Amino acid sequence: MNYLIYMVLQITVIIVFAPLISGVIRKIKALSQKRKGAPVFQMYYDLHKLFRKTSVVSETSSWIFKAAPYVFFSTAVTAALLVPVSTLIPQPSSLPGDFIVMVSVLALGRFFMMLAGLDTGSTFGGMGSSREALISSLIEPSILVSLFTIALITGSTSLSRILFVVNSSENQLPLQVSILIFLALLVIIIAETARIPVDDPSTHLELTMVHEAMILEYSGRHLALMEYGAAVKQLTLITLLVNILLPFDGMISQTGMMAILLSLLFYAAKVLMAAVLIALIEINCVKLKLFSIPNLAALAFILSFVAFLQFFVLGGNHV
Amino acid sequence: MKHHFAIARFDKSIILYYNEKACGYLQQESSEGMDIGMEVFQTVVLLKSSFALLGIAAVIALIASGKQKFCNLSVNMICIVSSILMMAASGFIILSENQFVKIHIFDTAIPFLSLELAVDGLSALFLLILSILVFCISVYSIGYISHYFGKRNVGLFYFLYSTFILSMALVFTSSNAVFFYISWEAMSVLSYFLVIFESEIEKNQKAGILYIVMTHIGTAFLLIGFMISYSFTGSFDITGSSQAIPEGAKNIIFILYLLGFCTKAGAIPVHIWLPYAHPAAPSNVSALMSGVMIKTAIYGLVRFVMEFLGVQHTWWGVLIIVIGVLSAFLGVAYALMEHDMKRLLAYHSVENIGIILIGLGISFISFNGGNTIIGSMALTASLLHTLNHALFKGGLFLGAGSIHYATHTKDIEKLGGLIRTMPVTALFVLCFSLAISAIIPFNGFVSEWLTFLSIFTYVAPGQAGINIILIIAVATLGMAGALAAACFVKFYGISFLGLPRTNQAAEAREVSAPMNIAMGIIGGICLLIGLLPMQAIRTIDKVTFSLTGASSVTQLGQGFIDPWISLDNTGSSISPAEIFAALAVVSLLTLIAVRIIGGKYLERRYGSWDCGFEALNPRMQYTATGFSKPIKIVFRILFRPSRKTELKGGSRYQPDEIEYTTTSESIFEKYAYRPAFQQIITFSRRAKFFVQTGKIHNYLIYIFIAVLALMAYNRFV
Repeated sequence: MNYLIYMVLQITVIIVFAPLISGVIRKIKALSQKRKGAPVFQMYYDLHKLFRKTSVVSETSSWIFKAAPYVFFSTAVTAALLVPVSTLIPQPSSLPGDFIVMVSVLALGRFFMMLAGLDTGSTFGGMGSSREALISSLIEPSILVSLFTIALITGSTSLSRILFVVNSSENQLPLQVSILIFLALLVIIIAETARIPVDDPSTHLELTMVHEAMILEYSGRHLALMEYGAAVKQLTLITLLVNILLPFDGMISQTGMMAILLSLLFYAAKVLMAAVLIALIEINCVKLKLFSIPNLAALAFILSFVAFLQFFVLGGNHV
Repeated sequence: MKHHFAIARFDKSIILYYNEKACGYLQQESSEGMDIGMEVFQTVVLLKSSFALLGIAAVIALIASGKQKFCNLSVNMICIVSSILMMAASGFIILSENQFVKIHIFDTAIPFLSLELAVDGLSALFLLILSILVFCISVYSIGYISHYFGKRNVGLFYFLYSTFILSMALVFTSSNAVFFYISWEAMSVLSYFLVIFESEIEKNQKAGILYIVMTHIGTAFLLIGFMISYSFTGSFDITGSSQAIPEGAKNIIFILYLLGFCTKAGAIPVHIWLPYAHPAAPSNVSALMSGVMIKTAIYGLVRFVMEFLGVQHTWWGVLIIVIGVLSAFLGVAYALMEHDMKRLLAYHSVENIGIILIGLGISFISFNGGNTIIGSMALTASLLHTLNHALFKGGLFLGAGSIHYATHTKDIEKLGGLIRTMPVTALFVLCFSLAISAIIPFNGFVSEWLTFLSIFTYVAPGQAGINIILIIAVATLGMAGALAAACFVKFYGISFLGLPRTNQAAEAREVSAPMNIAMGIIGGICLLIGLLPMQAIRTIDKVTFSLTGASSVTQLGQGFIDPWISLDNTGSSISPAEIFAALAVVSLLTLIAVRIIGGKYLERRYGSWDCGFEALNPRMQYTATGFSKPIKIVFRILFRPSRKTELKGGSRYQPDEIEYTTTSESIFEKYAYRPAFQQIITFSRRAKFFVQTGKIHNYLIYIFIAVLALMAYNRFV
């Protein structure tokens, strides 16, 4: 029963609201530039339109090209199922997987996306794949080290267990570790979701784009799935960030459905805050050139590494 | 104990022993004693006949070398039968825990030189890995070797092939160090002949020389280690006790063994031969070398260091982890720069040996610290990765062999579009590529997950130094995984996707059925272990239990074929099968939902975007060099990249031709090995001048001094 509630909740919240977050970020960016901007629901209209359009498929491409959008979208959704939006559903309720599984599932989607970039035989796709390969390998150590540190503190690698522990009222992450991991995860999210300063989601200039270059040849429902998958992945990672580092669920004293509802409200507020934060970063940064990204990745790694040292070398207690 | 005699009557050369644990077991259940005896008897017969069949195969290969087709078919069939027997025997031994079989084959008048095979769980596990690979590779060879017909001596090839397999089997089973050494040497020399099998190519000869020199340097360390150990214990018995060896000597022996075995394993910094030798050999042999031969070193480390010496210090484990981290990271980094697909795969062997060594190192430090359960979990992770790597790397080398067979090139820059002409090969290579990148749902993920988990359970507050090394190991595993994915996107994307870059690639045809069947079998096993890992983990846990007396499966999930891997004390549990099911269900639902929202799927085929030039040709595609260039620039400290642009003909501003060369080189070769070789050559020249003068009276003086020294030694020491 819990399992069912959990699944339904995850799927509805993440799948339904993922495009909205992209819309909100775009709206904030537009407002900051004194433009009116597209409505926050624009992405829903776009997706609906794309799903109904004819797909143009490159003559040089193989089955990989057509399979990749489905693989990418389903890996994003499966990863989303591993990160509970609300920690108040009694344990164990999530899919049997931990953060290493999440990383591996996302890697599967990325693998296919990079292959699809090479499949069309054009230069753009290959360039996008090549850059994505670089960025993902630079950012991977930080993801693992930061989540590993949190896992060590909470005593489990399972994401639902980690979230459950940090959200229970008596346990709190040490503040200094929280801050460091928060910053590290923020950089990771920016890099993983192809945002400024790592990538620019709104251009089609060959010199600046990474994600857009890989999916350049896509159209129709395939493009819709790629865009939708990217939005789902973004919301999943934001969920991970806010639910670990802003553990407000512990403050809820009610029980039953009421509690879940309240925690969802909190969740919405937290995600909105994160969206505003990401938008602000986008507004205030310029895109880095490709070979400056290692510095950013190194920053994320150092932050997570220091968080680890902070806790496990300089001493500290298990929560 | 009556049944011993009963069995001895069947075959006088068989002597049965049980180790102490099993003896206890035997006394408890003496009513079933006869069954156990029979089982051992079966195992012995199976093993002996499988070894004998390999010998017969070698003989047939030599006799029938004139009839190539017959030779090809018969030798492979015999090897297949032999591998099935070996699989059965090793399966029996692993499943009946603590069973320990000794087979006495012959004695000689020379002391220590008697052939006695001892097969315990560890040997059986490696025999199992060997037999699975031999089975698949022999099926593959039926098709693959056909391109040698009429060009090369197929009989000679199969003679070397079957004796090579036999020598590896003997390495895993010999019970005394002298015989181990002889088998080890035989394995090295036979593989050397296989490396230079296509000897008219000069590159292969150089690779062969480098290989045989490096492997002998390694073997020399081992030999010294064995001798020091003998000088204290007075025995070459592998399973004996090392109590007589003082601590200082144990440290020295450990370093010697580590150097010797790491050379064979191809761990950095003694990996130098591996990226040359593996590509030079025929692909089916490369699969064996990379899948099994370099694992003899892992066997050696577990057998001689962990079991015989016993882990004495934490720094032993730390040293192994450091070597592992270096190998894992640098192996994959250098693999990214390669465009020769077999060299690329060879560097990935360095990476995977690194991952195996990380697991082994963790198990060393845990055992030393008394954490036997974590230790056995790490050892299980390490041995599981040994098995997994043998499978997917074997598969990848076979895939590379198929590509080479179909296109006659190993350079991925000359390939492209093979997914249309070789769809079956393409599918299997994709599976292996996912497996080696540690991506769910294949087997590579499971063993890396276990390695992570053993680090996770080991790290605890307060042990600063080790914690830092372990977290670096975590970061390295992550980065190596992502870089491996990048590398295999490059390998797969450039060679199988896009447009064919040359005629050779365009004219490729799908390879014959045996080759695809062999890859299919390996792919199937990879997926099976990936989806239902508990079965494999349980099997390997029996081996670690018999070695260490601690089982991590009690910590891991319950049930015999359950798909879960779980670790009770931390609440970490994963189920690759369920994750895969979730992926499949989500994909299906997506398909249905898209169909409902979007209506019927309409598709228009059109050319890729060509920037309006209307002449997209294969040369405009991204190349492998271009693909890995960003990584090359970011990690330029490792690769020392250089580029040269040369303009030819015409004016400076409008040349007829532009030649662009880009190179990168390994820092180890440039800054360590090449200067060292230079030094040795210079030293030898000088020595020739001063020592080997060619004058008789000088030589007489040498002899005189030698005699005096010996007399003095005899008198005073």
